[in-house]
Amino acid sequence: MAEKFINARGLQCPGPIVELFKTVKSSESGDVITIEVTDCGFKKDIAAWCKKTGNELVNLEENDGAVKAVIKKL
Amino acid sequence: MIIATGATLFVPPLENVDLKNIFTLRSVTDAFAIREMVDMGQVKKAVVVGGGFIGLEVAENLKHRGVDVTLFELVPHILPPFDEEIALYAQNHMKEKGVNIITGEKVTGFEGDSEGVKRVITSVGNFEADIVILSIGVRPNVSLAKSAGIELGVTGAIKVNKFMETNIKDIYAAGDCVENVNLVTGKAAWYPMGSTSNKTGRIAGQNCVSDLKDSLDGVLGTTIVKLFDISAAKTGLSERDAIKEGFEVETVLVPMDDRAHYYPGHKNIITKLIADKKTHRVLGAQIVGEGVTDKPIDTIATAITFGADLEGLSKLDLAYAPPFSTAMSSTLVAANVLLNKENQKVKGINPSKLPEKIVSKEANVVDVREEVEFFISAIPESVNIPINELESRCGEIDKDGKTVILVCKVGRRAYTAYKKLKGLGYKDVKILEGGSTAYPYEMK
Repeated sequence: MAEKFINARGLQCPGPIVELFKTVKSSESGDVITIEVTDCGFKKDIAAWCKKTGNELVNLEENDGAVKAVIKKL
Repeated sequence: MIIATGATLFVPPLENVDLKNIFTLRSVTDAFAIREMVDMGQVKKAVVVGGGFIGLEVAENLKHRGVDVTLFELVPHILPPFDEEIALYAQNHMKEKGVNIITGEKVTGFEGDSEGVKRVITSVGNFEADIVILSIGVRPNVSLAKSAGIELGVTGAIKVNKFMETNIKDIYAAGDCVENVNLVTGKAAWYPMGSTSNKTGRIAGQNCVSDLKDSLDGVLGTTIVKLFDISAAKTGLSERDAIKEGFEVETVLVPMDDRAHYYPGHKNIITKLIADKKTHRVLGAQIVGEGVTDKPIDTIATAITFGADLEGLSKLDLAYAPPFSTAMSSTLVAANVLLNKENQKVKGINPSKLPEKIVSKEANVVDVREEVEFFISAIPESVNIPINELESRCGEIDKDGKTVILVCKVGRRAYTAYKKLKGLGYKDVKILEGGSTAYPYEMK
C-alpha cells in the first residue's frame, strides 16, 4: 500500500480534482492519497466524488483556508 | 411632536393561533421566552412560518441547538424579495444544513391543548411541533397617527415628506411606522429596517429642534442576512421588480472568488447585476455565497445612490491586495460581463430559464468541464465534451439544430467554448450564466 501526496495549493478549478483523479487512476486499491487544496469549491467536490466512486474519504479538514483531504482508493 | 410607533409582527387569523408556545419574534422578551423553552429541553420539533429574514434566522439558530426544524413559505422560494435563482441557492444551502423547507404551501391552523401547540395544519398535511414561530411579516403601527387625522401612504405606513413632516404642521414621524421612497423608482415603498429607521429618526429629531433642515431623498432597501455558512445581500430593484416597474432590463449572473484565488481562505460569491438596457443605469444587485458579500453590495448600493451606469461601475477604483479582493473585483467583473452581453460579445442564459428548455428539449446542453467534474454532478440531459476536445468532437453538436447552451463551473471555459463554436460557424450559442456553481435546480 503506497502513500501519495499531492500539493494542489494555488490551483484553480478544475486543477485539484483533475490532479486527484489522475493520481487515483494510477494507484492500487488500498493506496492512501493526501491532497492539499486552497480552491474553495474543492471541499464539496471531493465529498461528492468519493460518494459516487466509493473511494473512502478517510479525513477532510480545513485549516487556515486550506483543505486537506485523505482518500483511500477502493 | 414626533410619531415613532414602529411596526408589529403580523399574526394571521389562523385557527387556534393563540395556543401557548406559538411565538412571534420581535423583542428581546420574545427571544428569551423561546430560548428558555429550548434550554429546558422542551423543544424537539419546531415549525417556522415564513421564509423571510427573521424566519430564516430563527430556523438556523434552532437548528444549531439541535432542534428538528420545518419552515413554511407561501411563495415558491424563501427570501421572497430576491430573484428565484439567488433565493434557491440560499434555500439549497439551508436544506443541506438540515432545515426542512416547504415552499408554495400554506399553514392553515394549529392543534393542541392547554399545554400548548402540538400540531401545525398545512395544505400538505399535519406537522408535529413543540414550538411555532410566526414570521410572516410586519405591519406599521399607524392607529395613533390615523386617529389624529394624519395621512397614510399607499403602502399603509405614515406618509411623510423628505423632511419627515406629516400632513399636520409640527407633527413629524420617523422609524418603522413611516413610508419611504425607493431611490431607483422615486416611488413610495416601505422598508421597516433599522438602517432606514435610524436615518429617518435622526432627520425628524434634527428638524424638530433646529432650523438647519435635514432631509432624506430615499433609500434602496439594501439588506443582508447570514444563513449558516453563506450570506445573501440585496440592493435596489430585483429583476422581477424592475420588469414590473416597466424597465427593459439586462441582467447577469457571475460567480467569482472574493479574494485572490491563490490566497488561502478565499470563498466564492455569486453576483447578480440588474441594469437598464437603454441607459445602462444600474438598477439593483443581489449577492450570495460563502464569501464576503457585504462589501460588494455596499459598493453597488453606493454606486446606485449616485446614479452609476455599468461603464462607471466597471471602472471603480477599489482597494486591492490578494488578502482582500481580486485585481478585478467581483463587482467590476460582473459589470464587464453585463457590458459584454450588451455589446453582443457573448450571449447568456439565466439558470432560471434552463429547466423549461430541458423539459421541452429546445436546448442542446453541452458541458465543457473535465470528465471528472461532469461525473460529480451535471445538469440533466447535458452531454460532456471537455473544452480541450471541443474542436475534435464538435461533430457531435448539431450545427443548425437547437440552441447550444455551454456549461462550465463558473463561466470562463464556457466563454472560451462560445468563441470556439462561433468561430466554427455555430449561430445559436449561449453560455449558462453562473455555470454549475450557481445552478440551483436538480442535477444528475
